[in-house]
Amino acid sequence: MTQVNRLDGGLIDRGDVLDFTFNDQPLRGYRGDTLASALLANGKRLVGRSFKYHRPRGIFTAGSEEPNALVELGEGDRRESNTRATITELFADLAANSQNHRGPLDFDLMAVNDFLSPFLSAGFYYKTFMWPKAFWEKIYEPIIRNAAGLGRSAMLPDPDHYDKGFLHADLLIIGAGPSGLASALAAGRAGLRVILCDEDFRLGGRLNAETFVIDDQACSDWAASALAELAALPNVRLMARCTVYGVFDHGIYGALEKKTDHVADGGGKPRQVLWRIYAKRSILAAGAIERGIAFPNNDRPGVMLAGAVRAYVNRFAAAPGQRVAVFTNNDNGWRTATDLAAKGVDIAAVIDTRDGPKRTDIADARIIMGGRVVGTKGRTGLKSVQLANGQSIEADCLAVSGGWSPNVHLTCHHRGRPVWRDDIAAFVPGGDLPKGLSVVGAASGSLTLGSALREGYHAGEAIAEDLGSKARAGSAPVADDEVASISAFWHVTEGKGRAWLDLQNDVTVKDVKLAFREGFHAVEHLKRYTTLGMATDQGKTANVPALAIMATHTGKSIAETGTTIFRPPYTPVPIGALAGRARGKDFRPYRLTPSHRWAEEQGAVFVETGMWLRVQWFPKPGETHWRESVDREVAATRKSVGVCDVTTLGKIDIQGRDAALFLNKVYANGFAKLPVGKVRYGIMLREDGIVMDDGTTARLGDNHYVMTTTTANAGSVFRHLEFCRQCLWPDLDVHLISTTDGWAQFAVAGPNARKLLQKLVDAEHDISNEAFPFMACAELTVCGGTPARLFRISFSGELAYEIAVPARYGNSMIRTLMAAGEAFDVTPYGTEALSVMRIEKGHAAGNELTGTTTAQDLGLGRMVSKKKDCIGNTLSERPALNSEDGLRLMGFRPVERSRDLSAGAHLLAMGKASFLENDEGWLTSVAYSPELGGSIALGFIKRGHERLGEVVVANDPLRARRIEVEIVSPHFIDPEGERLRA
Amino acid sequence: MPSLQLEAELPLGGFRESFDETELAEVADIAIVSLAIPLQGEAAFEAALLDAYGVERPAAGQSVISKDGRTRFLWTAQDQLFALIDSASPTTASDVAAKLDGKAYVTLQSDNWVALRLAGSLARTALERICPIDLDASAFPKDRVARTAMEHMGAFICRDGENSFLLLSASSSANSYLHAVRTSLQNVA
Repeated sequence: MTQVNRLDGGLIDRGDVLDFTFNDQPLRGYRGDTLASALLANGKRLVGRSFKYHRPRGIFTAGSEEPNALVELGEGDRRESNTRATITELFADLAANSQNHRGPLDFDLMAVNDFLSPFLSAGFYYKTFMWPKAFWEKIYEPIIRNAAGLGRSAMLPDPDHYDKGFLHADLLIIGAGPSGLASALAAGRAGLRVILCDEDFRLGGRLNAETFVIDDQACSDWAASALAELAALPNVRLMARCTVYGVFDHGIYGALEKKTDHVADGGGKPRQVLWRIYAKRSILAAGAIERGIAFPNNDRPGVMLAGAVRAYVNRFAAAPGQRVAVFTNNDNGWRTATDLAAKGVDIAAVIDTRDGPKRTDIADARIIMGGRVVGTKGRTGLKSVQLANGQSIEADCLAVSGGWSPNVHLTCHHRGRPVWRDDIAAFVPGGDLPKGLSVVGAASGSLTLGSALREGYHAGEAIAEDLGSKARAGSAPVADDEVASISAFWHVTEGKGRAWLDLQNDVTVKDVKLAFREGFHAVEHLKRYTTLGMATDQGKTANVPALAIMATHTGKSIAETGTTIFRPPYTPVPIGALAGRARGKDFRPYRLTPSHRWAEEQGAVFVETGMWLRVQWFPKPGETHWRESVDREVAATRKSVGVCDVTTLGKIDIQGRDAALFLNKVYANGFAKLPVGKVRYGIMLREDGIVMDDGTTARLGDNHYVMTTTTANAGSVFRHLEFCRQCLWPDLDVHLISTTDGWAQFAVAGPNARKLLQKLVDAEHDISNEAFPFMACAELTVCGGTPARLFRISFSGELAYEIAVPARYGNSMIRTLMAAGEAFDVTPYGTEALSVMRIEKGHAAGNELTGTTTAQDLGLGRMVSKKKDCIGNTLSERPALNSEDGLRLMGFRPVERSRDLSAGAHLLAMGKASFLENDEGWLTSVAYSPELGGSIALGFIKRGHERLGEVVVANDPLRARRIEVEIVSPHFIDPEGERLRA
Repeated sequence: MPSLQLEAELPLGGFRESFDETELAEVADIAIVSLAIPLQGEAAFEAALLDAYGVERPAAGQSVISKDGRTRFLWTAQDQLFALIDSASPTTASDVAAKLDGKAYVTLQSDNWVALRLAGSLARTALERICPIDLDASAFPKDRVARTAMEHMGAFICRDGENSFLLLSASSSANSYLHAVRTSLQNVA
């Protein structure tokens, strides 16, 4: 467990030793390490296998752009694949495994693919495996999918918790490197509410990886002191481990904060939080990402980006190799050489593609100006580097720098298209940026430290001023601008072997050439043909070199060639984080009726109706089938008395001087003359004349009504009424408020309903048939003074009431109803029995109010008053809605009474084939009627009211049933309504 | 047969729980009455409110407390207020109607809502997880009120103390709402 490559210094805590395993091998690192830095410190260069060719791969970068070092973390249901070792914070007992190989990592059987590479170039599967056709889906595709891919899914439910949240700021700063910190200092000092996010667990960005000086301090020390100042400001929120992954509309940003990923035990707290950040302004200070140079076999473990090598040495005190060579086209590569040499790392050579004098002396290093690397050797790790001049240089690490690409990702989220700058050989933000977003520092193309600090600080000051805040004490940090010249160089053309561009997707220079040859010249085509820039890294290190090479083929400039643009997310966001808490029972809110607890005690079976949980039926011991329970509930109700919780029906309190006029306008039938103390059934039309909803409205006072709606339409009817009140008739004095949840309401139905209620209603209220007839209503008291409302209405067709008490009494009320009803064998019933009884009675419900049916279809045409105006009145008179051949709601019974009907069956005249042109209607609601002893149905059929007694066919091809049915009245029981008036 | 006297119970049975020094509790003994201001009756209503309760009508997004400290009036809509009354008889609206001399249409709302109070140092941090409103004291000071949605449930939020928030949501989904608030508190405690 010796850390062979551990150096002195660095920003790690050597007092906090962390043991971990990689492929079950025990290793050791320190607090402050990433998994990648700890692996390098332990001399581990080979960490995985490539996607397609299963080539040995090592750590390439030191950030979230990592294409190679993807590992599996955790085990069992916590196994997570494709985790980037470069941003995985080391913790005690971390267990990591390499992925995408068969057999041991250093002897992957699937490496045979590498020998087959001539057959596996870009788009090979478009051209091969064409025959026989049937083999593709069953044989070829499974084999290819099995051979390719990155990591294994846990295939088990995610045991972790996730959360979401909302944050608000004057200024959101994305990135806590030099420019971001400078912006935060300026804006924070000016009193703005600032949120500073960075994906790293240690804020400071490249300042932690460099050896520059700011304000006469080492730049990492300056970062620490700036952060201390910011942390002390109450108006500044520092968010480490927090990636802003997307820019959405109106200053809304998505961010993923990792809360417990870096600890072995999260203590039951959410692992990650998905934030929605509302910001008046934002600053993108996301820095730049280094890119490589394509040369033969440039993918061996040990070949890394020069800036990353520097970061491992300076920040993590982990040398990526014992003897390091540098290959560069810019001055950044030289900085790696000097920093490493200063730390005592042996520098083998610096190879600069540019001609001219060497930039500096490096002790014992060979300096080759105008040089090129044409090959590398070393099966599972770099051993030597071959140069174009024939030299071979022994090295176990090659630090490559092909220049830096500003991190423009988020500037593209509103279709901003980056523009090319020759002087820095990079794309910078261009086009329309998201509103309110400024870009500073390296992300804007200011690639030197001094300019990044200046730009960041001034942007912070300018935004503070723009938002009405004055800058306070403090000044912009000062640093020199380092030498940073570059001469674009993308690809070494000499040498043998494939030269990699996109390490994650195994896309080579040859693949780009092939794409060009086959006509895929546009950058978007190039991407899709070769898979360049796909998967977890989205080509952050690969895209620019690849399209530069495409430009050389097409003969166009890079500016003309352009770049693909980016969309959210910047880095992968787990589906678990997007789901947040919405899983299992709490996937969405649920609503309970006041009698829910009592119903649970009775062993009720519940059904979801919208968000409500309603009782479907109450099984009794010995009942083995739902129909047994439902038939019993119906029979008992019709015989004596039943009780059903109908709290879920929408209730709207309507008050105002013009309430009567208002109701008269929204209902199709007349409401102007409804007396106080009476209820009326009403239907509401949409503007197009189709029935929207039905229900009852009770008049409790001169200016006071209570409307009930169907359960399903409670919200939409309320919204409709508010629209009418606020927009159509603002001159009416009408006021609405929902009282659905406020009242526990129970239907009490059956011949003994009155007798039962008389035991509860206080004696001073006379509810005899004479004093309280059908369609009466009253505000009264029950059970010794509890306020209540009583409505004599009937959905079942029986003598029936709905009794309402304030919801807090609902639980007590159902128990009292049951206790008081014992003498009458009172029976609770659920929605199934409710439905059976309303079908027997011929009452329309949701199955009939489909949004396509008219009042006439429902047999309620005469309710649409011609004496007044109402919503939907005019358009309900359209000829098409009033044709002679129109549908009519009717009852249906099977000719052979023992047969069961099915809802949805279509109606055909006898002898007609089942073609659309013969379709005459359909069955909407079907039930077994205990009263009639057989299956009955409601349904729509053309000219139904003229066809009583006719036999037609109910054709249900889905269930392969053709049943002859007789057209009957929709009122199967008590058509004269004697029971409900009893 | 048991007594026919009905017993009242709160949607959450009087829930109360502390997380560190932050308490989440169902508010009992509170009557909620909505007041709708008649068209062209604003002046008369405002005079009646001043006369009966000694307060001005709250502006949009505001709440005010009556002179006797027993009633908080919340702005809820353009022509609507809620009166939150410390009351042992939350099932009557007639007192308010009488006090306002019929200058507003009153509707009993007590049982439409579950009322929770979240108070303590973690209150704001917990609400960050479910409440889209900016609750910073500079944007949402004491007595401010807002109608919003939390975890897909409609809700009112009123800051009734420096670290105290009164939350109202539909009583039928009280369990889901409690779960939302409690989970938030657990997640940050």
